[in-house]
Amino acid sequence: MIDIDVPDVPYRRYSNRQLVAIPAAVLLVALLIIAGWYVTTGAPVTPGIDFTGGTELQISSDQSADQIRSTFESELSVPVETVTQSGSSYIVTFQATDQSEIDQIQSVAKSSGYEIEQIQTRSATFSGDAQRQSLIGIGVAFVGMSVLAFVFFRTFVPSIAIVLSAFSDLVIPIAVMNILGMRLSLGTVAALLMLIGYSVDSDILLNNSILRRSGDFYESTYRARRTGVTMTVTSIIAMIVMTILSSRFVFGIPLLPQVGIILVVGLTADLMNTYLMNVSLLRYYVYEGVAK
Amino acid sequence: MSPNLRENWRIILLAVMVLLSTIAIFGPVGGDQTVPGANTANQTDDPTNLQFGLDLSGGTRIRAPLIGITAEDVELQEMENEEVRALERNLTTELSVSTQDLTIRTSANETNTVEVFSNNITKAQLESALDEHGVNHGEIRDGVTDQTLSETERTLDDKISGAGLSGGDASISRSATGGEAFIVVEVPNMPREAVKELINEQGTVLVVAHFPQNGSYRNVPMFSQEGIAHVGTMQRSQTGEPNVPVDLTPRAGDNFTNAMNTFGFTSPQGTTNCTYQSNPDDSGHCIYTVSNGKVVNDTIVEGTIVQGAGLNPGLASTIRNGDFQNAFQVETSNASEAQRLALNMRAGALPTNLDLDAGTTSYIEPSLAQRFKSLSVVTGLLAMLAVGAVVGWRYREPKIAIPMVLTAAAEVYLLLGFASIIGMALDLSHIAGFIAVIGTGVDDLVIIADEILQQGDVSTNRVFRSRFRKAFWVIGAAAATTVIAMAPLAVLSLGDLQGFAIVTIVGVLIGVLVTRPAYGDVIRNLVMD
Repeated sequence: MIDIDVPDVPYRRYSNRQLVAIPAAVLLVALLIIAGWYVTTGAPVTPGIDFTGGTELQISSDQSADQIRSTFESELSVPVETVTQSGSSYIVTFQATDQSEIDQIQSVAKSSGYEIEQIQTRSATFSGDAQRQSLIGIGVAFVGMSVLAFVFFRTFVPSIAIVLSAFSDLVIPIAVMNILGMRLSLGTVAALLMLIGYSVDSDILLNNSILRRSGDFYESTYRARRTGVTMTVTSIIAMIVMTILSSRFVFGIPLLPQVGIILVVGLTADLMNTYLMNVSLLRYYVYEGVAK
Repeated sequence: MSPNLRENWRIILLAVMVLLSTIAIFGPVGGDQTVPGANTANQTDDPTNLQFGLDLSGGTRIRAPLIGITAEDVELQEMENEEVRALERNLTTELSVSTQDLTIRTSANETNTVEVFSNNITKAQLESALDEHGVNHGEIRDGVTDQTLSETERTLDDKISGAGLSGGDASISRSATGGEAFIVVEVPNMPREAVKELINEQGTVLVVAHFPQNGSYRNVPMFSQEGIAHVGTMQRSQTGEPNVPVDLTPRAGDNFTNAMNTFGFTSPQGTTNCTYQSNPDDSGHCIYTVSNGKVVNDTIVEGTIVQGAGLNPGLASTIRNGDFQNAFQVETSNASEAQRLALNMRAGALPTNLDLDAGTTSYIEPSLAQRFKSLSVVTGLLAMLAVGAVVGWRYREPKIAIPMVLTAAAEVYLLLGFASIIGMALDLSHIAGFIAVIGTGVDDLVIIADEILQQGDVSTNRVFRSRFRKAFWVIGAAAATTVIAMAPLAVLSLGDLQGFAIVTIVGVLIGVLVTRPAYGDVIRNLVMD
């Protein structure tokens, strides 16, 4: 009674090994990127001000980014880290965290005729604590999600499929962050945690449809995929709209673009992981794991 | 009508909650309630009762730990109060800190602590000072006691409201893991420097006896805010000098009487020889009013001497006769100084300073914040429209898609009502949370719609209920995972993200328990007619 637009995947034509190859290859590349990043920079992803400490100054000025940088560099003893344009404003970051240094930055900004729209400072000790807490947060969330997956399905293969898919959904956006030169912020940590929640939705739907419902494997997969793809695509489009509108090219709202971009990448990865990797793991489980 | 009502109770529940939210958001609020951390200054042009945090209203936020170390489980062997004070004085001398910088807190049912509020004293130094005086104690840790934290919070609150900064607030924030506590100060519409200036001075008002002894001068602290029972309003003496009349506590009064007599202030010479105005370096017997100061080893080491004056002859004779009624005048040099001292005396001194270099400060210009507020509403609405377009295209049936979008919108509306009731000050992180809730909400509504609308007509209520239950299992499991994933953020003290996590968790709960089931009823009414 309802038109269905979800493209059909000819699962029967490919073996489990062939289906898993693509997500496995992408995951491997992502892990290699993160490992390479770790070897060259000492961190799996470059931490931003939230985790290293520093000062972020947003000013409005009709000067160019280079002019602003040279003004600060000539008048300050603390080095300028980055200058980025955001709409009609500029965001200038410094590593300085001492109150006296910040007072200095503020007075240089004022005497140079820049209007201070926003200034934020995070001390190094505070940020170190934030880093530790974020790691704990992601760790606890992931373990909690894994435990729930096993509680829900009580069998190894379907549960581990959920955990693997969520892992890959987290790793791929982190690799993409490195490629895009994004830094880890509190916003991206929030997005990664949200991704754990989103990632599991479609996996639970698929597992439930195949394991707990009547009907043949392909029919169940098809049913779950029709619903699951709608869900994920809807979320992706909402996030694309949010990312574009809140980006520095349009509205320039902080926090939201970081959350958005991580979710767009993560949800796209989730489509691949759920409907290539999880489907083949479940097919293995239904046809071979259970039969034996 | 009753079976119809009973079948649609989920829709009715949703309608009631939407109504309650409307009252919470737009209804008149009894009294003049000010919500901590929220900006109430420009509420007049806002028709809602929603409170906005600094991200969306502008102002300064400072979050920092307090300076200090604490020795726990200090054994005082039932010492008398006087003995404890003596120990306090000895430790102060041992460590070369001022009396304000070291506090022994005794408690009948809890353990005793020794706190040192100074960046210059290490844990090892405190350890050896305690050992020197044979005081057994437990762990010496960074940070201060809970009493000090709440005293600081209260004093800051008094200072902020005393300075007439509406909507400003100080609060305590704790990390769930380390137990480390921070003071968070939020003041709308004020630049960073002004707030820093306000909270950075400890606000100690110290009255010091300054007098010659054996060829050199001594400075002995008489009392600070702790010894003041009541603060009057500024007045002027016959000569026009502004002062603040205060009443001392009996103990401070006795101590003062004793000191004045002992140190020669009440002698005929002592009442007349103060030459602070003309010769401050050799000024004779003077009573100093010291602002933000400290006395270490008979020397004033910090702060400014606001005024120095001899003991009033009339007062001197009452003290000499033992008739002192604890009424004293704190002398100042000008009227604005007097006002400031009176404010500080009323608010009290901060037990210790905020360690700003170990915290975070942020300032956002009010106009920029207001811009974020309206633009994020536009962003949210357009994201919602995009969701509507996708589900409209997918189902090709407005009867299914429109209620779906409306239900998701109702979820956000209920969340706003919730935020309004608990007085949550909305920030950007909450907006991100709202968008996350719309996302998971639509996911669940798609699951419900697809499950109920699958092949085979829903001919009976039994079929509907069985399908609804199946859909609900998936939704419930997904919601449980989202709550688990967000729970760490809700308890960790990651500042901005706490709000995001709380909104997401509450949103998912409202969604699973109220709005999403109601959508199931809507779909049933559509297919069973």
